[in-house]
Amino acid sequence: MDFFLSKKIVEYACLCGVLSPLTKLYFCRHCLNLRCAFCCHHEVDSHFCSNCLENIPSSEAKLRKNKCNTCFDCPSCQATLSARATSIQVPMSTKGEGGDETDEGSASNKMVTKKMYYLACLACRWTSRDVGISDQTSQTCSWPEQEYFHSTRFQLLSEHFQAVVLCDKEEKQDYLRRKTVKTSKFPSMTDRTGLTVASIRRQIGFDKSAPKAKPKPTNITPSIATSEVEDLPDEIFTKPVNLKNITTIKQRLAQPANQPETVKHLYPQHKNLSIKRSLRCRHCEHNVIKPEYNPSSIKYRIQLFASNHVPEVRFVKADPFKIGESASIILKIINPTINDMTITIMDLPTEDEEKMAIEEMRKTFDKSVSIATKSSLTPSIMRPSLIEDPRMVDCKITGKIELPDSSFVVNQRDDSAEFDDDIQGDRQDPRFIIWRKANKVEIKLNVIPCDGLKKDDDIITGFTMQFTYSNVHTSTPEKESQGLRHALNVRVYINPGKISE
Amino acid sequence: MSKNENKVKIMPRAVVCEDSNIRGDVTISSGSVVHTSAQIIAESGPIIIGENCIIEEYAKIIHRIPTNHKLYQENPEKPHVLVIGSNNIFEVGCTVEALKIGEKNIFESKSYVSPDVTISSGCVIGAGCQLFGEQHLTENTVIYGKTCQQREALDKQGSHMLQLDFLRKILPNYHHLRKPVDIKSKTTFATSTPK
Repeated sequence: MDFFLSKKIVEYACLCGVLSPLTKLYFCRHCLNLRCAFCCHHEVDSHFCSNCLENIPSSEAKLRKNKCNTCFDCPSCQATLSARATSIQVPMSTKGEGGDETDEGSASNKMVTKKMYYLACLACRWTSRDVGISDQTSQTCSWPEQEYFHSTRFQLLSEHFQAVVLCDKEEKQDYLRRKTVKTSKFPSMTDRTGLTVASIRRQIGFDKSAPKAKPKPTNITPSIATSEVEDLPDEIFTKPVNLKNITTIKQRLAQPANQPETVKHLYPQHKNLSIKRSLRCRHCEHNVIKPEYNPSSIKYRIQLFASNHVPEVRFVKADPFKIGESASIILKIINPTINDMTITIMDLPTEDEEKMAIEEMRKTFDKSVSIATKSSLTPSIMRPSLIEDPRMVDCKITGKIELPDSSFVVNQRDDSAEFDDDIQGDRQDPRFIIWRKANKVEIKLNVIPCDGLKKDDDIITGFTMQFTYSNVHTSTPEKESQGLRHALNVRVYINPGKISE
Repeated sequence: MSKNENKVKIMPRAVVCEDSNIRGDVTISSGSVVHTSAQIIAESGPIIIGENCIIEEYAKIIHRIPTNHKLYQENPEKPHVLVIGSNNIFEVGCTVEALKIGEKNIFESKSYVSPDVTISSGCVIGAGCQLFGEQHLTENTVIYGKTCQQREALDKQGSHMLQLDFLRKILPNYHHLRKPVDIKSKTTFATSTPK
């Protein structure tokens, strides 16, 4: 389904001015507005390995460099490696190994099959045997880690810089402590005499230990830059290259620590962890998407996808467009909610109207932000989020829609309806509705291409769709009596084709 | 040789399903398994399939020398024989038009090999990979991925004898089989009837 929805034919405008297909949008039911991915906070909920589905706490994930301990990626094609078992015959291990030679004959009779494992890629048939990693007795772990030439140097460097940072921090604190002005207005006696608490303590003999030595960063031999590079080998231009032995850029970058040049040095790489992420509306700080914590679950605890709340507009077909002539297009409108919707199709706001609306929105945002920053109730970790600035939609309309003269109702979604017989409602439909079934309606609209278009120019048309939305889940009980029906507006942009003549 | 002439020779111990489409002069050596709806078409000359090959469903082996091919332009009348070595696997939906195929090769699902390619031994053509253009695959070449990357395997791919034994046991239970020919006595073996 994503295939024909992701084609950029029908797009919805978000507040931030970005057009995206309905499947890529979310609907904040607290702000009652469409939100695109740019208008949401992305938060990492949990780390997990997509192969073994192990849930890894974020602190541990950081320690493991965001890699899974047990799963490996193919260094050749980056697919997941799988362990394959082979059975080999090994002589039974006799306890008296240092025994005499007559024992050996009987031992060799007792052959035991032992399972040995190696890693194999099912996509490119790379195996761990290719690079000379010996088979292992256990399926997980115990795979030899690759040693890097520079690993000790990197270890030293990171230790050094950690110490430097620590040192800096302490110096800063020290400086601040000395710099802070005394709150007391009266000069302290000890200040004049140079008698500090510490010195008194020392004099009395309370504190015999010497003042703590500051941790000093370990000395490290600095790297030396050199302009002398080893000469290329003589045969570099004459020897034919066997491309099968040379790694591709992708393979090298997948192994950043040593970036091997030949395939002989490709080693299985620990699999990168995946994350579960939740999205939060930047305006109201409510969650828009929250997945279940369990990595093997694909369900959501909160899922406010726009396609579950906003009527979906699908482009069905259009007459060929000719310059200066109106052509009809057929759109299908689908109601995904369990309440009937009344839909009105209106003009898109003009440029000035759009600017005014944006100004108004900015004012309200400023207010809300200033309130949020003033109130001390918001916890310090929850910074007031940067709200995406509302912008104009960057899309030039080249076709004008003739608006239908009335609004119309789209029935609620009823999953059992498709098993029922076709019941035609006794509703008197306006003329532009050409088809109606369950929660779907097809409408026919006329589009007039604007002046100044040439052949093969894209027609882009659009309308503001006002629909009634019943907020089933609400956090304000006092409003319940008021029916909870909202009239919401979304801007829809359609690209029905090119001018044929 | 007319195209409609069918001279299918099936050696003993080969399992060839009746619903397979075999046209032209085709010899299937002993131990090979041909599934239903596999196609083996010998247009430009005979095909000889070696021992212990597996030709799976919807696999196509076509011996058709295109008119712009080197072999055709040198001598269009000279018959060419397509010899397919032993222990090859033609997986579901592959199309192989190569004019020279060694042994122990694997043609994965939906792969395509054009007549300009010659294949030695131990090669793997990955799923969906399409090989065009004149080239020779050296031994143990593995072709994989969207962009048909090449790499060289250390040794030939593992044996598929277990799978062959299983197929020989299972296929006669569910399919009508073509009668193998006994060359010496020129008599046919009784077909095994489905149970």
